[in-house]
Amino acid sequence: MIAGGIPLGDVLLASGALFVIGLVGALLRRNAISIFLSIELMMNAANLTVLGYAASLQNLEGQVVVFFVIAIAAAEAAVGLAIFIALFRHTETIDVNRINLLKW
Amino acid sequence: MTPALWIIPALPLAGFLLCLFLGSRSGKSFVSAVGVGSVALATVAAWTRLIPYFSESAAPAVERIAPWISAGNFSVDLSLRLDPLSALMVSFVTFVGFLIHVYSIGYMRHDETDAGYARFFAYMNLFLFAMLTLVLANNFLLMFVGWEGVGLCSYLLIGYYYEKEFAADAGKKAFVVNRIGDFGFLLGMFGVFSLFGTLDFDGVFTRAAADPTRFAPGLTVVCLLLFVGAMGKSAQIPLHVWLPDAMAGPTPVSALIHAATMVTAGVYVVTRCNVLFRLAPEAMFLVSVVGGVTAIFAAIIAIAQTDIKRVLAYSTVSQLGYMFLACGVGAYVAGMFHVLTHAFFKACLFLGSGAVIHALGGEQDVRRMGGLAPRLPVTYRTFLVATLALSGIPPLAGFFSKDAILAAAFAAHRPILFAIGLFTAGLTAFYMFRLVSLTFYGEFRGTPEESKHLHEAPPTMVLPLVVLAFLSAVGGFVGLPEVFGERANRIAAFLAPVIPPVFLPGRETETHHLPVSSEWLLIGVSVAVALAGLLLAWKWYAKENGRPAAKLAASFPALYALVADKFRVDELYDVLFVRPFVWLARMLWKVIDVLLIDGVLNAGAFLVELTGDALRFLQTGNVRNYALTFLLGIVALVLIVFGGM
Amino acid sequence: MAALTATRLVFDAAATLAIVFASVMVIHRHPVKSVLALVVSFFALSIAYVLLSAPLIAAVQVIVYAGAILVLFLFVLMLLNVPEEARHGSGRPIHRILSAAAILVFAVFLLSLLRSHGATASPAVGASAGGGADVAAAARLLFSEHLLSFEALSVLLLAALVGAFALARPETQR
Repeated sequence: MIAGGIPLGDVLLASGALFVIGLVGALLRRNAISIFLSIELMMNAANLTVLGYAASLQNLEGQVVVFFVIAIAAAEAAVGLAIFIALFRHTETIDVNRINLLKW
Repeated sequence: MTPALWIIPALPLAGFLLCLFLGSRSGKSFVSAVGVGSVALATVAAWTRLIPYFSESAAPAVERIAPWISAGNFSVDLSLRLDPLSALMVSFVTFVGFLIHVYSIGYMRHDETDAGYARFFAYMNLFLFAMLTLVLANNFLLMFVGWEGVGLCSYLLIGYYYEKEFAADAGKKAFVVNRIGDFGFLLGMFGVFSLFGTLDFDGVFTRAAADPTRFAPGLTVVCLLLFVGAMGKSAQIPLHVWLPDAMAGPTPVSALIHAATMVTAGVYVVTRCNVLFRLAPEAMFLVSVVGGVTAIFAAIIAIAQTDIKRVLAYSTVSQLGYMFLACGVGAYVAGMFHVLTHAFFKACLFLGSGAVIHALGGEQDVRRMGGLAPRLPVTYRTFLVATLALSGIPPLAGFFSKDAILAAAFAAHRPILFAIGLFTAGLTAFYMFRLVSLTFYGEFRGTPEESKHLHEAPPTMVLPLVVLAFLSAVGGFVGLPEVFGERANRIAAFLAPVIPPVFLPGRETETHHLPVSSEWLLIGVSVAVALAGLLLAWKWYAKENGRPAAKLAASFPALYALVADKFRVDELYDVLFVRPFVWLARMLWKVIDVLLIDGVLNAGAFLVELTGDALRFLQTGNVRNYALTFLLGIVALVLIVFGGM
Repeated sequence: MAALTATRLVFDAAATLAIVFASVMVIHRHPVKSVLALVVSFFALSIAYVLLSAPLIAAVQVIVYAGAILVLFLFVLMLLNVPEEARHGSGRPIHRILSAAAILVFAVFLLSLLRSHGATASPAVGASAGGGADVAAAARLLFSEHLLSFEALSVLLLAALVGAFALARPETQR
């Protein structure tokens, strides 16, 4: 491998930017699945942050954490998409503006 | 083997419990056996203890049952005391109580259900328990327990016919007026403790006697407060208003509680605390004045009453006034003597009136009686004996006790009180014989129905009447005045240990003695006055059928109305106290409770509702709004937490 | 600023790639194209993970995240035949304003956090000596200290499986 290092600031900048992009997507998209995708992006940004610190502090526990996060994200995606499918069957739309059954 | 003291009150308590829990299902015979039996056993137990005590005059026997309260430097035990004073009280409370219980069997049998009958005897037993506790207590607090207990039982028994609104009201009135007195008594007890550091009788009285001048200032207030309690319990003016209304209860109740026993508790307390009172001359003066005023006031009212029990009620108030008059002038022995004789003849009179009412099927108005003497011979004769005793005709019991009181008033240089007492004696004879004439002489003024129904009372009712009449006749001989010899006054000798020689400095020569000639003069005068009253009543009511009285009443209609209306004291109290209080209660209710308190609470709820109404708009159901709110919250949090950096 | 090493350059390139394609994902209206953009982004990220001495995670990222999860997304998109999104943003201006403001604040916060943190003494990240040794080390940690969590994770996946099945099952007509 190539010797040398990556400054932590770079890593954090990258993950921060990814997170904000994901946030923008989560707030401003109308498509439910697109919102979900943005959330996945935000999770990845978090993963990147954790790995950055793990490498910086020479601690392998961070990798274990990220491992679990990815596995859980998989479970979450499965269930979430199942919910969307069920919802779509009911309402024929995935436009979140129109799904407001929780309205007072 | 002498029974322990606590058995004496415990037996009626057991009777109360048995009648209360088992009575309504066990039939009247069971209740009669238990209710009367418990009292009979208590009487036997008491007298077994008392007889040796009477003959030997032993030292006071104090029995400590158990420690009760011990908090800091305040400690009170459950302890009972047998000394001459309590022995005297126990002797007639148990015996007269027993007679009245026997009488009640016959009186209450017919009209009541099994449950009601059981309730009656339960309460009567409870009353005796409380009264015996009161009398046998060795400290103020235990006595107060009994004090309250008799007040409670009075309320329960007055309101025995609780379905009649008047009876229920009378019970409440008795309790409330008593409570006012009790408040004074309670404050008095606080005063006793703060002055003497203990509530034990021995402790208090020895300390008071040891250093009279030290306690004197506060003692006046304490004695006055204790006397307020006595005024309530013994129906002295101005707290007398409950006693006449208390006649709404069954007649045995009136006899036992409102003649013979409970109402004398006030006199007992004053006598028990005679050491304290004698160190507070102002208090004693007030006691005598209140007693005298009450005596004459009630006697005047009694003249114009038409209900047979009401006459006797006012008579009781009047006689209680005599007892306090005696205590107030220092003649405690005379006061207790009158308590004893009064128990006999007043109980006899009440029970006799009960027999009359029973015979007439419930009629209590003397204007509808008359000519009952031949039809109810035994009732008539016992009633007559008791009347003569009450009027102070020698050699019956009332003469000796009343004479002792008048002599004491005279010897204490209290001419006004003496005159009041004398005049009231005349009034007493007058209204009692008026009662006898209207009830037993002349023509029968009732309905033919009642006339057919008339019959002498059953033996259970007649026997106590006879016994009480006998006691009214001979009971006076325990207290013969000194004219008959040095040792003639046995009751005085007996009670002497309870009235130790304690005097304020400078007043050592308290005891007054009358020369023999004055004594005989007084006797003659009082007998003459009594006879005069008696004869006047006989003339007006028996011979001339009440016409002179009616004419007199017609000439002064307003005055007569005032007297017949008991001087409108109840109406006065209504305006002075009851109405403002009701107004206050209503105000507290409508304004403070409903408007203020409920209003504040309702406003709180309203506020919550308002907030909820406003906040619900956050629930748009739109997930993106939620996400946005989420983010806004996080931003705010971040700013707050990291804003410092 | 640390030295401009080769590792750093590659990392910066991968990160930039990831960011660019993430933006594409957010902007594009067609959902399938969004997903594909995200796949590319995740690939770029896995390169970055390798450079951060986390080869195991990089592999997992490619296999699980890009290879399974996003593929699942694609399946669902095609199953539901999701159309192109008509218009970006929410219908209400206040929403957009608030969102924009919040995002701005958040971004500024992140930036300032970076400044205070990233430039300081945290040692630079170094590439590891051998990829295989790293994987073995991470795996060893996973199967020893965190074994319980690992097993619990498998239970979680089972639960998710059952749950997803139960939710997405077509309603049976009775």
